[in-house]
Amino acid sequence: MKVLFSRITKAINSKPKIENLCEDLTLIGIEVDEIQSFQGDKIIDFDLTPNRGDCFSVKGLARDYCAYKNKKFSLVTKNFFKGETKFNKKIKLLARDACPAYSAISISNLKLKKKFPDYIKNALKAAGIQSIHPLVDIVNFVMIESGQPMHVFDQDKIKGDIEVRFAKTKEQIKILGEKNLKLSKDCLVIADKKEPIALAGISGGLNHSVSKKTKNFLIESAFFDPAIIKGKARRYGFQTDASQRFERGVDFNLHEDALKEALSIIQEIYQADISNIETTRNKYFPKKKIIDISLDDVNLKLGTDLKENTIKSILKRLEIKLIKKNKKNLTFEAPSHRFDLSIKEDLIEEVARIVGYDNLPQIKNDPITQYYEKSDYDFISQIKTFMINKGFYEVINYSFLEKQSLENLGIDHKSISLKNPLNNSLGTLRTSLLPSLATNLEFNINRGQNFLKIFEMGKSFSNDKDMEGLNLAGLIFDDEKFKNWNTNQNYDFYYLKGILENLFEEFRIEKIFWKKSKNHLLHPYASADIFFKNKLIGSVGSINPRFLRLLGFNKSFFYFEIKVESLPKNDLGKLNAPSIYPISQRDFSFEIDNKVSYEQIENCIHISSKDFLIDIKIFDVYDGKNISDGKKSIAFRVSWGSNKKTLSEEEINKEANLIITGMQKKLGAILR
Amino acid sequence: MDLDALKANLKKDFEEIVSQEELNQLKVKYLGKKGQITELSKNIKNLPSKERPTFGKKISELRSLYEDLLSSIQEKIELQVINESLEKDRIDVTLPGSFKSQGKLHPLTLTTKKITDFFSSKGYLIEDGPEIESDYYNFDALNIPKDHPARDMHDTFYLDNGNLLRTHTSPVQIRSIEKRGAPLKIICPGKVYRSDADKTHTPMFHQIEGLVIDENVNFGHLKNEIMTFIDFFFGPDTKVRFRPSYFPFTEPSAEVDIMDNKSKNWLEIMGCGLVHPNVIDMAGLNSNKFSGFAFGMGIERMAKLSYEIEDMRSLFSNDIKFLSQ
Repeated sequence: MKVLFSRITKAINSKPKIENLCEDLTLIGIEVDEIQSFQGDKIIDFDLTPNRGDCFSVKGLARDYCAYKNKKFSLVTKNFFKGETKFNKKIKLLARDACPAYSAISISNLKLKKKFPDYIKNALKAAGIQSIHPLVDIVNFVMIESGQPMHVFDQDKIKGDIEVRFAKTKEQIKILGEKNLKLSKDCLVIADKKEPIALAGISGGLNHSVSKKTKNFLIESAFFDPAIIKGKARRYGFQTDASQRFERGVDFNLHEDALKEALSIIQEIYQADISNIETTRNKYFPKKKIIDISLDDVNLKLGTDLKENTIKSILKRLEIKLIKKNKKNLTFEAPSHRFDLSIKEDLIEEVARIVGYDNLPQIKNDPITQYYEKSDYDFISQIKTFMINKGFYEVINYSFLEKQSLENLGIDHKSISLKNPLNNSLGTLRTSLLPSLATNLEFNINRGQNFLKIFEMGKSFSNDKDMEGLNLAGLIFDDEKFKNWNTNQNYDFYYLKGILENLFEEFRIEKIFWKKSKNHLLHPYASADIFFKNKLIGSVGSINPRFLRLLGFNKSFFYFEIKVESLPKNDLGKLNAPSIYPISQRDFSFEIDNKVSYEQIENCIHISSKDFLIDIKIFDVYDGKNISDGKKSIAFRVSWGSNKKTLSEEEINKEANLIITGMQKKLGAILR
Repeated sequence: MDLDALKANLKKDFEEIVSQEELNQLKVKYLGKKGQITELSKNIKNLPSKERPTFGKKISELRSLYEDLLSSIQEKIELQVINESLEKDRIDVTLPGSFKSQGKLHPLTLTTKKITDFFSSKGYLIEDGPEIESDYYNFDALNIPKDHPARDMHDTFYLDNGNLLRTHTSPVQIRSIEKRGAPLKIICPGKVYRSDADKTHTPMFHQIEGLVIDENVNFGHLKNEIMTFIDFFFGPDTKVRFRPSYFPFTEPSAEVDIMDNKSKNWLEIMGCGLVHPNVIDMAGLNSNKFSGFAFGMGIERMAKLSYEIEDMRSLFSNDIKFLSQ
């Protein structure tokens, strides 16, 4: 809300420095967004919180400021007004508490007596309100000053009496700004006998608005229930100065006084025939809210030691009236302009505001000492630390991306889209972290990077029962022609697999299985799917070349993604003391069919040598020279040991022979 | 040759030695078959028996001098040999080490960690919740009913499956109260979403939010928690200001500002307040028995202040040159 500094100083009847005024207002919860210069004056732009509808005017601000500074303030200059002609329409309030009070007046034979005053023009200009017609400008000026929105109709266009009612089925209204709104039954309208002439509290209808040709005017000033106005304008995608005020709540005792103020300005500038003020009220007119509170309530919540008199006098300054008092409670009545006061906590905040938040005590002991077990979040933190120690940089990407990028990769089924995205490129929630990481890679390659190791831990989304899950994904790209002078690292499938194995080991996750990948995004023969127990938890490998082109790369990269939430969060279990007896080792080299997997060999060794086996370590896999076609040579070292004794030569020989026979019989392997 | 002259020669010879080879020659010269000491010992039988013991003693002294000189020179020569061979291993220690394999956490993760570390050391449990939320948890349960103007403050992204992307981390408060009851002490970091994008806003950003619920929790406790945190995060001399504000889920509500020493401006850093009784009741606790406080801040803003980042969007560009600083 933008208002002129000069209007505020007039309303508070003193002239503080603008910085001091703004500082004081900030300290009572009225935030100043910006101060601009304006024709020798200043415009202050306030950032009002939605609870303080009462501050949505120059005088509303002034009232709160004066309460804080303990200065006298009166909102309206009581204008005496007596109409000369008779208001000749009936006003029917048919919407119960949605509009319990409505005042109207008619004006005709308008003649300018003197120049239209600049202070009104400037106030409107500062507030960013367009000048439409002198009478409209005057009521808008009064709105800026007092907070009461009013509306001016072309009376000749209104057919018959005025009704305030809810819209009927299929009713429409064309509002200012040429918008045609289809009304629903919860929209409150002002109507004549034919049709709606205004969307109550929000905007007048275009067909009944004033123009240069208008001869007879009707001014409306009413109270509308904020609950009815709330959200309506937003539903049709706009806001007006009136709707912003009415949905926050306009003082229900103001509408007649504000109208009188407007009339006094009109009479000052114009000669005109003005009718009596026709005010209609129904039995649903709101009552002031009653709030019970005790001294303890205040002091217990604020940690203070305030006296009853202090509280009473603070609330009195805010026009919160003490109406009853007994041993336990004080009973207060909230003023008609404060829609935000209904429970005792609201009054406690009022006391705190005027005392000053910075003057409230700081209590040094902890309210509770509550300690918890390790949270799942620690696990996330540890995984991130693990990844950076493996040389990966952490990236964080938006959760949404362009749907096309998921479609290109064939991972758009079950994707969830935004109804109101900022733009199309941020329209759909990611089902995998791959497109984001690929974008990061492209971005960095374009900036001259030839090498990249990045990871992200973030959610992926899909229209399943669990709509989201936490994933860990990593990417390695290596196109560095000039390596570090002393480094010979091969970044391949096994490098990434090794990192994941380390990860599982670090977090004591067993029962992990690796199978040839069925993930269509990965190289069909050089990638793995990862299973925990029997559940697929992720994949690792190089990207399938047909997708590389779609992602915009001419060189492959290695990638993994795993579902972190599927993993158990294991603590360190029981620790076993290491054996004091020596370990025995034997090396083997077999020639074996190329299609036999290492997993099969490992299983075979485990089945063949059941006793004493501790570890198998592959140290060579080879399928070149001296090896028959379709065969490979595989060499490994087996370790045996016991925690009860030193194994004898005979025992080792027996186990070694069991392996040789087992390998031969089960896998057709020949010892080399 | 008399014994003294021999002794002097022996010492002189050992002093001049520089290699194993010369040492071997010296061995022959003194103790070989025709060596000088050997020859002298042969002479002993030609002496009168009276003189023999003295002469014998002198010879043996000469031999032990020889041994001493030998062992010390031997050590010296061995050391020299090792040193000569080590010199072949000479490297340039100023060349860089083998490939440096250390990544870095994202600045937002570092900032989050700094904050969660502080609060978990004070006994807070770190909690997380879903990013896809229902209207109920994101708004209604936080005392923001439908059509409440406060919903305007949250430019919400709605999803085609009827849900929304959470606009704040506050729904975690409700989920946590429902799950754990009271007393409760939690800190909830996480991603949140609002349809807003410019230099200071990104459509996805991070918040962190704390909640404490017990009997008799008051505003003084809240102030203390915030002041201690600010001392920790920004340093003990930071100037702090609390001012009234509005959040539907707290009453009284406050905004906390710190003084920026460079610009002498107040910077808004977090919102906080006593939990609104409606929120406590809706989450299933009795607001007559329990009270609490909550506070929340934007992690990007905290990171921006910590690392003096100018454009928030650079936090999501994932430029390795930015991340590897």
